Amino acid sequence: MSAAKAIRAGFRGWLRRHAYSLLSSIGALVRSPVASGMTIGVLAIALSLPLGLYTALANLSAMNTDLERLESISVFLDAELDEDRARRLASSLSTSPDVLTVDPISPEAGMRELAGATGLDDLELGEVPLPWVLEVTPAREGDVGGLAGRLRALDGIDQVIVDLGWLRRLEALLGVFARLVELVAVLFGLAVLFVIANTIRAEIQSRHEEIEVMALVGATPAWIRRPFLYAGFWLGLFGGLGAWLLVRLGLWLLAGPVRDLGASYGTPASLQAPPAELIAALIIGSGLLGIAGAAVAVSRQLHRINP
Amino acid sequence: MIVFEHVAKRYAGGVQALADVNFRLEPGEMAFLTGHSGAGKSTLLRLIALLERPSRGQVLFEGRNVGRLSRRQIPMLRRRVGVIFQDHKLLTDRTVFDNVALPLHIAGLSFGEIKRRVGAALDQVGLRDKSGMPVPVLSGGEQQRVGIARAIVAKPPLLLADEPTGNLDPALSEELMRLFCTLNELGTTVLIATHDLYLVRQLGRRTLVLDHGRMVDDTVPVPPGSTGPEVLR
Ligand SMILES: Nc1ncnc2c1ncn2[C@@H]1O[C@H](COP(=O)(O)OP(=O)(O)O)[C@@H](O)[C@H]1O
Ligand SMILES: [Mg+2]
Repeated sequence: MSAAKAIRAGFRGWLRRHAYSLLSSIGALVRSPVASGMTIGVLAIALSLPLGLYTALANLSAMNTDLERLESISVFLDAELDEDRARRLASSLSTSPDVLTVDPISPEAGMRELAGATGLDDLELGEVPLPWVLEVTPAREGDVGGLAGRLRALDGIDQVIVDLGWLRRLEALLGVFARLVELVAVLFGLAVLFVIANTIRAEIQSRHEEIEVMALVGATPAWIRRPFLYAGFWLGLFGGLGAWLLVRLGLWLLAGPVRDLGASYGTPASLQAPPAELIAALIIGSGLLGIAGAAVAVSRQLHRINP
Repeated sequence: MIVFEHVAKRYAGGVQALADVNFRLEPGEMAFLTGHSGAGKSTLLRLIALLERPSRGQVLFEGRNVGRLSRRQIPMLRRRVGVIFQDHKLLTDRTVFDNVALPLHIAGLSFGEIKRRVGAALDQVGLRDKSGMPVPVLSGGEQQRVGIARAIVAKPPLLLADEPTGNLDPALSEELMRLFCTLNELGTTVLIATHDLYLVRQLGRRTLVLDHGRMVDDTVPVPPGSTGPEVLR
């Protein structure tokens, strides 16, 4: 019974010591608002870069899935097929569920396009026989590869070309971009660690007398360390919060131009903010980074006080 | 309470601050430590509070070899030794109350208990009405008394004071010494380093004399007028 009492009393003491450290750490930040504000600003900017890049990447990826709709399959018919057969084939294809639209292109239209693309005129191209071409746009969820295979097996079809090149390139580009975001996140995470460690180190140096006094009146290293760890936590936390605000600001500034861009393509477009879980992870994560940075700085200094 | 056995201290720079120092201080005793500047007074006190470790010999506090204590045990030792520093070592950006409360916060006392004990300690040094003031606006004597209040607030069994009257006027010095005597009568063991030989002689307490790191004298001076410590009371 008395043991339980002692444990409860010990726990209350532990809580009180933590509350004291927590409050004194906030006090230290508030006492030097300019220095704290600048550090938090640096942290916010450092953290906003990976978060901003991530947001851009997420929006580009979303756009990419939209763009997949624009994939097209060029179906080159046998040269001897006439317009009548070509149009009948086109309309029969367009009833297939995995086909969205079929756009027949006559040899004349193809010739004009070719001339335009190559810069040669009709005469120079001469009598190159062009077949009818069907431009097939697959349905949204369709399996483009399978559709192309089935088209190839049809009668009267010479060649099927799936134009995925630019899409693949975009995807690869997004892959590179994603890796870049990861890299930047790691680098700037380290930057946050160093900035906080350095800030706390400077703080410790400017308060070394206070640390000495605390050690002299019987403070344990854990007690001395604690307010600095809390300070690091606050710096990281507010830095993360600032980064989130900066990204929100960026999204807000970009909203108008993006809407205009979408309007020019005839589709409504808007930027998506990063998900709440990511924001929470960022803010808490930077808080933890702050603790880690502070711990590094404090343990280096504490060894000097106690012989 | 304190036992020094063949204690020597040589600083890293090669200075021999103490050489073969031997003495005992019993619980409840009060003694002065005198000697010229650089004699090793501060060093001796620093060895007791484990601000330095002895190079040779042993320093016992409450029967335990202080020099052998591990780093983790240092805080517990320091909580049982109240130290008053010549340069106060106060936190200048805090109030009087916060400074005196520091040892109690470290011990994890409740706020009500802290308020009560800080109030009592400030009463003892006559600074109750200065409780909410920032330390820098206080006079030198008042700051010294804040340091004393902080040293006694957790009721440590041993009180060490390093030149507590160093730069105070005679009247204030005498008042401070009277305070130490009162604390001693209440049961605290007190060891005071000072070069104020006039006051020491007046108080007629046990006096340890250091000279170039050696303990050269251990006497109880007869105060002028031969009326003993009562002179001040
Ligand atoms: N941290 C230190 N490093 C090197 N020498 C020191 C240190 N502290 C004190 N000393 C030297 O030790 C000697 C005793 O100093 P101290 O104990 O402060 O004497 P007192 O307090 O009697 O004036 C002096 O010569 C002083 O210069
Ligand atoms: Mg000295």
